[in-house]
Amino acid sequence: MSAATLSPMERLPAPPPSSPSLAVAPVAAMSAPAADLPPSRPIIDIDHVDFFYGQSQALHDVSLRLDEKKVTAFIGPSGCGKSTLLRCLNRMNDLIDGARVAKGSIRIRGIDIHAPAVDVIELRKRVGMVFQKSNPFPKSIYENITYGLRLQGVKDKGRLDAVVEKSLRGAALWDEVKDRLHASGLGLSGGQQQRLCIARAIAVEPDIILMDEPCSALDPISTSKVEELIHELKKEFTIVIVTHNMQQAARCSDQTAFFYLGRLIEFAATRTIFMNPSNPQTEAYVSGRFG
Amino acid sequence: MASTRIPPSPETQADATPAATSAGFLANKARFRFFGLTLDGCIKAFFGGNAVVAVLVLTLITIFLFKEGGGFFAQNRANLQIYRQAGLEYVDFIRAQTTGHTALTHELSDLRLRQFHRLTEAGKSLAEANAALAGFDEFANQFGDAIIPLRGLLSDLTETATALKSKFATTENLKIARQQLLAAGKTAEADKIVISEVNFDAELKPLLGTLPAYQAASAETAAKITAALTVKPALPTPELQARLEQFKMLAAAYVADFPAVEKNLRAWDYRQPVPFFRSITSFIFGRDWIAQSSWQEWYGILPLFVGSLMVSFVALLFAVPLGIGAAIYINQLASPAEQRIVKPCIEFISAIPSVVLGFFGVIFLGENLRLLSQQSWLAWVPGFPFSERLNILTAGCLLALIAVPTIFTLAEDSLNNVPRAFKEASFALGASRLQTIIKVIVPASLSGIISAVLLGLGRVIGETMVVLLCAGNRIAIPDFTAGLAVITQPVHTMTGLIAQEMGEVPVGSIGRHALFMIGLVLFFLSLLINWLAQKIVRRYRIAID
Repeated sequence: MSAATLSPMERLPAPPPSSPSLAVAPVAAMSAPAADLPPSRPIIDIDHVDFFYGQSQALHDVSLRLDEKKVTAFIGPSGCGKSTLLRCLNRMNDLIDGARVAKGSIRIRGIDIHAPAVDVIELRKRVGMVFQKSNPFPKSIYENITYGLRLQGVKDKGRLDAVVEKSLRGAALWDEVKDRLHASGLGLSGGQQQRLCIARAIAVEPDIILMDEPCSALDPISTSKVEELIHELKKEFTIVIVTHNMQQAARCSDQTAFFYLGRLIEFAATRTIFMNPSNPQTEAYVSGRFG
Repeated sequence: MASTRIPPSPETQADATPAATSAGFLANKARFRFFGLTLDGCIKAFFGGNAVVAVLVLTLITIFLFKEGGGFFAQNRANLQIYRQAGLEYVDFIRAQTTGHTALTHELSDLRLRQFHRLTEAGKSLAEANAALAGFDEFANQFGDAIIPLRGLLSDLTETATALKSKFATTENLKIARQQLLAAGKTAEADKIVISEVNFDAELKPLLGTLPAYQAASAETAAKITAALTVKPALPTPELQARLEQFKMLAAAYVADFPAVEKNLRAWDYRQPVPFFRSITSFIFGRDWIAQSSWQEWYGILPLFVGSLMVSFVALLFAVPLGIGAAIYINQLASPAEQRIVKPCIEFISAIPSVVLGFFGVIFLGENLRLLSQQSWLAWVPGFPFSERLNILTAGCLLALIAVPTIFTLAEDSLNNVPRAFKEASFALGASRLQTIIKVIVPASLSGIISAVLLGLGRVIGETMVVLLCAGNRIAIPDFTAGLAVITQPVHTMTGLIAQEMGEVPVGSIGRHALFMIGLVLFFLSLLINWLAQKIVRRYRIAID
């Protein structure tokens, strides 16, 4: 994502000329939702965001509005900025020295998350995250799930037990682990670990769950389980998922945003992106001709 | 090289002589040879040799320690044997009796001193105070004089026993001299040495013959003490009066013990052999380390062992919070600029020669701690004020400085090994920095931190120069009845004693072998600590792929 890797590509003739106008076009379309999307209110409003890692710009003027209780997929080739944008949404980028939003704003339920009054800890309670590599804590399954609640000071055993069961059922893991809740989370298989991480994220009852390539380290069976889970979860949560897997985006998401070189190229209903993209670059990417 | 130029048919190849084939290989390979080794072989041999040397040195050290230390137990047994044969043991029964009396007299003088202070503080003049204590003084004098008959007997007996012991030593020396002459083939000269074996039976007669005298003396002492106790001297201060009552009970118990001493004396038999295990137990559990004494040498490691442990414990008390705290700060909270400054500074501490630290302790820290302890606003600290500037606390403070870099570096390493993913997951669940550190990062690196502490302990126990200079070098088990104040007492340590005495003990002497035994104990202690540290790291390491 450094300037050195970006600049030579930007000199290529193919992408630039039409992209700015096209990037704006879908956003304009969003305000009057497309015919194939039922109307719903936006929960995340990303408004003309420029993002920098030190000197190198990772996002250029990205604008997006994501709907509540929908699954939105971010797709694009490596280094296109989709993960960066995802990590902006719960300010995980704060952990990286020199990373900053230089221009524009991100509003969640109308509140600018970069405003000085925003408590980033509160924000992260509302916006949960599941990472690329499953990362359960080296603690028991039970402690993993109750971690977030205990941070909030919940000590009531009954409530914690209830949340553990609810979250594990929510993550379709309950039947597999109900007999060994106090065994280490690291003893589970890769797919189970990832579902444990999802259970851990939903235990604090966030509004939004961010998923950063949640299946890239999983085998096909585990992957399909997580995808089914995403389908279930969208009844209660707004989900944003970054994926490299085009079929996955097509299967699980309601809307898809295509990024390239730090720019939003196209954003529309998933069916539109895959069946009838308006931008030739999007078409080239989803049909596997580049990326 | 015809065979290389003309591609041979399978038949000719099969027929080719071995010489021709090897000549073909030699032409390619014979570039460099050293003692028949190729360059690769040489390099391998060099590195392999280095590894072998390390193992070899360790083995040699172990063998050496065992060889030198192993002779100790036999010698110590002989040492204990002569202690019995020459009647020193017998005399020490009586000596213990008089020592008990001495301790009681100290208590009495302490009581008097306190009472005297109270009286003068209350505004009495010296004469008035002395007058008020006249009754007490009479009692104290009576009690003190009661021991005189016993003490007289004791000093006679001591002379007898010492004379017998030195006689035996002389005979032993003569025997050794003769054997050396015989070994050198000088039979004539060897025959000139006349050895008269010590007849313990005869020599001990006068000693054992004093039993009736002892009985008389002991009875007299008991009678005098009992008589003294019937007097009821009163002390004006109730608190001290209570202590006096307690003293009377102790004194009564002391007198009641006299028959037991007599029973010991009667049962004592110099012919009874000293079992070998006594040699070992007297080393491990012995409370005295008295080398080069005109009376009896004792080699009990307990005071040194306790000294080493106390000093190390105090050092860890300071070093563990400091080292781990600094590691957490530097690894998790500090800015890169702070890391660049603080890390090398802490690591540099380990570069300071320990003798310099010890010097600093003697000249500066010990004296200033002493002055600090005498500040009245610090009087609440246990052990303050103290007057010995070299003590457990001084040595412990400096040793902490030595342990901090070890603990810091290893703990920081293990914090560093915690995967970033744990930290991110914790933050993503809404944890603050502090919560993440306490609930995720420290638990995940706990095994590394514990082993860092253990290795710090190993570093501290083996440290020599600082404790030799700063621990006070008094060979005695510190008085734990003082509570926490125990840390302001001087001690001697295992390492310190070896360094102090190794240059002064003659080769082959029991003292030298005893020092090697301490070395062995240290060796195994370090081995144990290192083994534990490794085991903990392996056992509790988190499986991170």
